[in-house]
Amino acid sequence: MSGSQGKLYRLGADIGGTFTDIVLLGEDGQYWTKKVSSTPKDYSVGIVGGTLQLLSELKLDGGQLQEVIHGTTVAINTILENKGAKTALITTKGFRDVLEFRRLRVPHLYSLLYEPPKPLVERRLRLEVDERVGSGGEVVTPLNEDSIMSAIERIKDSDAQSIAVCLLHSFSNPEHERRVGELIKEHLPGRFCTLSVDVLPEIREYERTSTTVVNAYLGPIVRGYVDSLVKQFDDSGVKSPVRIMQSNGGVMSAARASETPVQIIESGPAAGVVAAHEVGSRVGLKNLITFDMGGTTAKASLIEDGELNWTTEHEVGAGISLSSRLVKGGGHAVKVPVVDLAEVGAGGGSIVWIDRGGALKVGPQSAGASPGPVSYGFGGTEPTVTDANIVLGYINPDSIAGGEVKLKSDLGRTALSEKVANPLGMELLDSAYGVHTVANVTMIRAIRAVSTYRGRDPREFTLLAFGGSGPIHAVEIARSLGIGKVIIPPAPGVFSAVGLLVAQPEQHFVQTFFGKADGIDTTALNQLYKDMESEGLKTLTSEGYESKDITWRRTVDLRYVGQAYELSIQAPGKEITVDDVSELVNAFHNEHERTYGHMAVDEPVEIVNLRMTALGKSSSSIPVQSTSDTKSSVHTNRDVYFGPDHGLLKTPIVSRSDLSFELMSGPMIIEEYDATVVVFPDCHASLDKWGHIVIDVGIE
Amino acid sequence: MLPRDIDPITFEVINNGLDSLVDEMALTIMRTAYSGIVKDAMDYSTGFCDRDGRTIAQGLSIVLHLGSFPAAVASIIDKYKDSIYPGDVFILNDPYTAGGIHLPDIYVIRPVFESDRLEGFACTLAHHTDVGGIVPGSNSTNATEIFQEGIRIPALKLYEKGVANETLFEMIATNVRLPRNVLGDIRAEVAATIIGEREYLRLVKNYGADEMRRHTDALIEYSEKLARDEIINMPDGKYEFASYIDGDNIDTGPVKIQVKLVVESDEIVVDFSGSSPQVKAGINSPLPFTQSATYGSIRQLMDPSIPNTVGFSRPIHVIAPEASVVNASLPAACGARGITGFRAMDALFGALAQIAPDRIPADGEGGNTIVSIGGYDSSSEPFAFIDLFAGGRGARPTCDGPEGLTHPGSNNSNTPVELAEVETPVRIEQYGLIIDTGGAGQFRGSLSQVREVRCLAEEGVLQLRSDKRRFRPYGLNGGEEGNPSLNILNPETDDITLPAMGVATMKKDDVIRHVMASGGGWGNPYDRVPEMVFDDVWNEKLSVSQARTQYGVVINHQTLELDLSATEKLRSDLR
Repeated sequence: MSGSQGKLYRLGADIGGTFTDIVLLGEDGQYWTKKVSSTPKDYSVGIVGGTLQLLSELKLDGGQLQEVIHGTTVAINTILENKGAKTALITTKGFRDVLEFRRLRVPHLYSLLYEPPKPLVERRLRLEVDERVGSGGEVVTPLNEDSIMSAIERIKDSDAQSIAVCLLHSFSNPEHERRVGELIKEHLPGRFCTLSVDVLPEIREYERTSTTVVNAYLGPIVRGYVDSLVKQFDDSGVKSPVRIMQSNGGVMSAARASETPVQIIESGPAAGVVAAHEVGSRVGLKNLITFDMGGTTAKASLIEDGELNWTTEHEVGAGISLSSRLVKGGGHAVKVPVVDLAEVGAGGGSIVWIDRGGALKVGPQSAGASPGPVSYGFGGTEPTVTDANIVLGYINPDSIAGGEVKLKSDLGRTALSEKVANPLGMELLDSAYGVHTVANVTMIRAIRAVSTYRGRDPREFTLLAFGGSGPIHAVEIARSLGIGKVIIPPAPGVFSAVGLLVAQPEQHFVQTFFGKADGIDTTALNQLYKDMESEGLKTLTSEGYESKDITWRRTVDLRYVGQAYELSIQAPGKEITVDDVSELVNAFHNEHERTYGHMAVDEPVEIVNLRMTALGKSSSSIPVQSTSDTKSSVHTNRDVYFGPDHGLLKTPIVSRSDLSFELMSGPMIIEEYDATVVVFPDCHASLDKWGHIVIDVGIE
Repeated sequence: MLPRDIDPITFEVINNGLDSLVDEMALTIMRTAYSGIVKDAMDYSTGFCDRDGRTIAQGLSIVLHLGSFPAAVASIIDKYKDSIYPGDVFILNDPYTAGGIHLPDIYVIRPVFESDRLEGFACTLAHHTDVGGIVPGSNSTNATEIFQEGIRIPALKLYEKGVANETLFEMIATNVRLPRNVLGDIRAEVAATIIGEREYLRLVKNYGADEMRRHTDALIEYSEKLARDEIINMPDGKYEFASYIDGDNIDTGPVKIQVKLVVESDEIVVDFSGSSPQVKAGINSPLPFTQSATYGSIRQLMDPSIPNTVGFSRPIHVIAPEASVVNASLPAACGARGITGFRAMDALFGALAQIAPDRIPADGEGGNTIVSIGGYDSSSEPFAFIDLFAGGRGARPTCDGPEGLTHPGSNNSNTPVELAEVETPVRIEQYGLIIDTGGAGQFRGSLSQVREVRCLAEEGVLQLRSDKRRFRPYGLNGGEEGNPSLNILNPETDDITLPAMGVATMKKDDVIRHVMASGGGWGNPYDRVPEMVFDDVWNEKLSVSQARTQYGVVINHQTLELDLSATEKLRSDLR
C-alpha cells in the first residue's frame, strides 16, 4: 500500500490503555489505520513513533501532514492517579473549606465506612481573602489587598505551581476575582493561574470551585505534555498544527488545551460519539444510540434530531458512572459541558462470578489486558465475558486479530465449567449464554441512563455499535430494548480515532443570566450573546479558521421559577425579541412534558443561563473508505450457540466484503481484523454503500 | 441459594431493572422539585413496593426514610382494600391515621396495575418546605400537640381513576405558607410515580406479570436469606447502649433512648424498653420511623450488595413501648423527630460496636442540625430558608472521621451558599471548619463546622433544631468525646447563647452562628502516629499547643518542625 506524493493528509491519534490507534486520512476520503502499543511513561513517544511508521509504510513525509488531531487520556489519568500539580486555592474569607465539604453525599446506600476522595488542594494552601460580593453582584465588603498579599506570600513560600481563584458570586461581578488574578500574575510570575470566571461563570460555589481547581491541578501537567508532543512532532519533521479533542466533542488548539485542560478530560470517549454522529448524518439517521464496548467498560450516548447531547452534571475520578445526573459525591465536580455518556463496568474482560446467594454476576472486576481472559493463555484463571463468548462460538476459538493472537480456548472452557456451570447446575453452553445475557443487562443500564432516564424511548433509535466487543453484543441488546436496527461501521475497533478526523473546532460559553422570562431584558440578553460571539470569533480566527466559516449554536437554560435544574432549549441565531422568548417558553413546556411526564403552563418560567457554541469548519475531507476491509472471505462454518430458543447451529463465518446490498439471513458471524459481529438466526444483514453493516434485528 | 425454579439470569435482569427504576424516580424529583430542601438538600426518597406493600427496591436517597414505605403502603391497603383503582394516586403524611413519619414528609404513592390487577406501588416521600403550623418550615420543637404542627393528611386519593381531587389540592394549598413550592414539589413526586409505573410495566411486558411476581417474591426471600447468613455470624448475646437528647426545650431533663440488642441464631431483637415516655415537644418518633432507624443501622453491618428489599429486615424485630419517645401516640408532636431517629441510630451503633469493634466508628455530629428562618421579604412574599447543616463523622477503627459526610442515617446534600442567597433574604457569612475541635484519638473525629447566617429581611422567625451540647459525641476504644454544639445570636455584638432547640425572632442584620458538634475519637490519642498529628498542624486543623496537650506531640512553633525524640519523652511522661 502507498499514499500519494504531493497530496495532503490529516492524522488522528487516539490513546487507549493498551493501544494507541492512528488513522491517516487522504483528501479523497480514503483512510489507513494502525494500532501500536501505548507508551504510558510518555504517551507522545507512541504517538509520534506510530505516526512515523505509518508515514514510512505509505512512503509519505511529515510535510504532507496538514493537521494532527489527538484524543488524549492525559487529563483523566492525572486525576485518577493523583499526579496533578501542587495547587493552591484562594477563596472568599470564611469559605476555604467548601472544596473539602463538597455536597456531603455518599454514592452508596448503607456504606458506613465510605471515604470521600481527598480534596485536590490541602487545607494549608486553601487561603482566604477579605472581600464579599452579594447575591446581586453588589460589593458588600471591599477587596482588601493586604489579605491578597499575605495569601500570595504563603504561596510563594510553598512549592505550589498552580493557583485557582474562586470568590463568591464572581459570576455576577468578577472584579474582585480579576484583581486577585492581576496581583498573582504580578507577584507569582510563571505559575499557572485559573480564575473561576474564566472557566465557569455559573452559580453554585462548590461546583465552580471544584471545576476551577481541577483546571489548575491539570494545567502544568497538560501544558508539559502538549508542549512535548508538539516538539517531538516538530523534531521529526511534522510541522502541522496539533489540535486536541475536547470532552464536548469539538477540537481546540494545543495552546488553548494548555490553558483550559478541564475541557479535555473526556477527550477519548467523546471522539467515538462524534464519529457516530458523522455516520448518522451520512446515512440520514437523526436518532442514534451509540454503544462502545471495550475490555473493561461499556459506554452509551444519545444522538437526537441529528445533535449530540451534552451534560454539565459530571464528576471525575468517581469511577464508573451510570448516570452522571444524580448527585452522588463519588468524585470531583466538573461542570463544563461533556458529551453525555453513561458508563458501566462491563466489558470483554469483566470477570464472571457467583455471589453467596447463588446469583450470577458479571464485573465490575476485570481481568484487564493482563492477565486477560483465561482463553488468552496469559495466566488468567477467572472466567470472563470473552471466555463465554468464545465457548458460545461467537469469537473464533483458535485465533483473533486475523490470526495474529492464538487462543487457548480449552482453558477458558474449563474455567467456565468449574466456576460457573457446575456451581449453578447448568449445561456449559447455557451458563455461557447466561453470562452473555447478564453482561448485556449491565450494558442496557448504560443505554437506559441516556434514554429512558430522560424520557426518551429507545425504540425510536438505531443502535450504532463499535469498540472491540460492541458488535458481539449489539444485536441482543437491541432486541431487549426493542430497537429494530443495528449499524456496525467499518473498522469498529478504531472508530474513536476516526472520530477525531470528523470533529470540528468548537468553543463553548456559558453565562449565568437570571430573570423571569416574562419581561426579560432582551437588550441585556442580546448584549451578552454579542460578547460571547466576539470572544468566540477572536479565539477561532486566532486558531486559523476563517470568520465566514464560523457558525453559532445558542441555547437558553430555562426552568420553572423555583426549580433547581434547567432544560436547555435551542434559541434562534439572531437578535432575540420578546416573541422569540415566548417561543422559548413554549418549547420549554413541551420539553418538560417529554422529559418528566408533566408540564405546568400556568407556572412562571425563568431564564438561568445563556449558552453559546462557536463552531469552526475545517474544510477538509471526511473518512469514508477504509483500506483495512479488503481481506477475502474464509468461507468456513462453526457451531454457534444462540440460546435455548435456537440452540446450537452450524453457522457460516464470513467477512464484511461477503455482504452486499442484498439482505442475508442469519445466523452468521462476520469476522474482522479488530472485531467480530454476531448476527442471530432471525436477523438479516446487509452492507450499505459506505461499507456499514446494517442488521435488521427482526422486530415488528 | 435461589429457589430451584428461579432462573438466576432472569433474576439478575429483573433485579437490575428494579434498581434503575427507583434511581430514575429519584432523578425525576431532584430535577423537577421547587424547594431547596428537596432539589438542593435532596431530602426525599423513592422506592417500589410489591402488591402486598413489601419494599422490593430503594433509590439512592435517605436511609432514615427508606424503612418506612411498608407502613405507609399498609395504611393505604388497610383503608382502601378493594377500592384501589388504576389511575389512583394516594397522598398522606399523618403518623396517627396513616403510616406517616412527621407532617412535613408527604408521601405520594401510585398503585401500579396490569390489566386491572394490582402489581405494586411506586412510592415517593419528600420533605416539604412548609405544611402550616406554628412556625414557618413546620418543624417546631415548641409544638406540644400534632394539631399545632400543620395540616394532617390521612391516606387520601389525590387522584382517583386519573382525575385530580381539586378539593384536596385546594385544601392543601390553603393551609401552607408556600403553596407554590408545596404544589410544585407534590407535582414532582407525582411525576416520579409516573416514571416508576412506566418502567415497572416495561418489565411486566417483557417477563409477564406472574413471572414478575414469582421473581420479586424470590428477591425478597433471597435478601432475607443473605441477611440471616450475616446475623448468624454475629456472636449471640445481649448488647446494651443508651444515648441521650439534651432536652426538649419544654421540659429540661434529658430524653433517653435505651436500646438492648439481642442476637440469637439468625435473628435480632431490638428492644427500646427503658426509653423515655413521649415528651411534650415535637421530637417524638412514630414507630415506622424508629423501625427505619433500626433497619438502617443494622443494615450498615451487612454486605452492601444485598438487594434493598423488605427481606433484609425480616429477621430484625423491633420492640418499642407505646406512648414512648420511640413510639409516639396521638396527640404527641413529632415535627422534629429526626433528632430521635438519629439518636436511636447512635445508640444502636454503640451496641453494634460491641459486636463488630473493628467496623463501627465513634459518634459523629448527631445528624443534621436544622436552622430555618422564615417570614416575609421586602415585597411581602413569604420565604423559608431551611438549612440542613451536616457533615461531621466520628473517627473509625482505621482512619480519621471524614469532614463533609452526613450522618449515616441521612444522605442529604448541603444548600449552595450562592443559591440560598439568590432565592431567600439571607447572607451566609461563614461555612468552615474550626481548628482544635476534633475528638482526640489514635484516629481523630472530624472537626466542628460553623455556619453563620445573616437575616436580610426586616424580621424572621428562627427555628433551631440541634443537639449534642450536654451529651457530647462519644469516643470509642479510649478515644475522646467530640466537642459540643453551640448556637449564638450576633456573635460579634450581643453574643447571646441560644438553646439547642427552640424559636427566636431575628431582626434585619441579626446573625445566627451554629457550631456543629465534632466527631468522637477512636483509640488512645497518645497512640496517634506523630506524623498524622503534624499533618493536622500543617493543615491548620490543630494548633501547636493542642498537639502537645491532646496528643503529647512536640512541634516547634517557629519552624513547624516535628520533634520526634521530645515527643517520645513527653508521651512516656504523660502515660
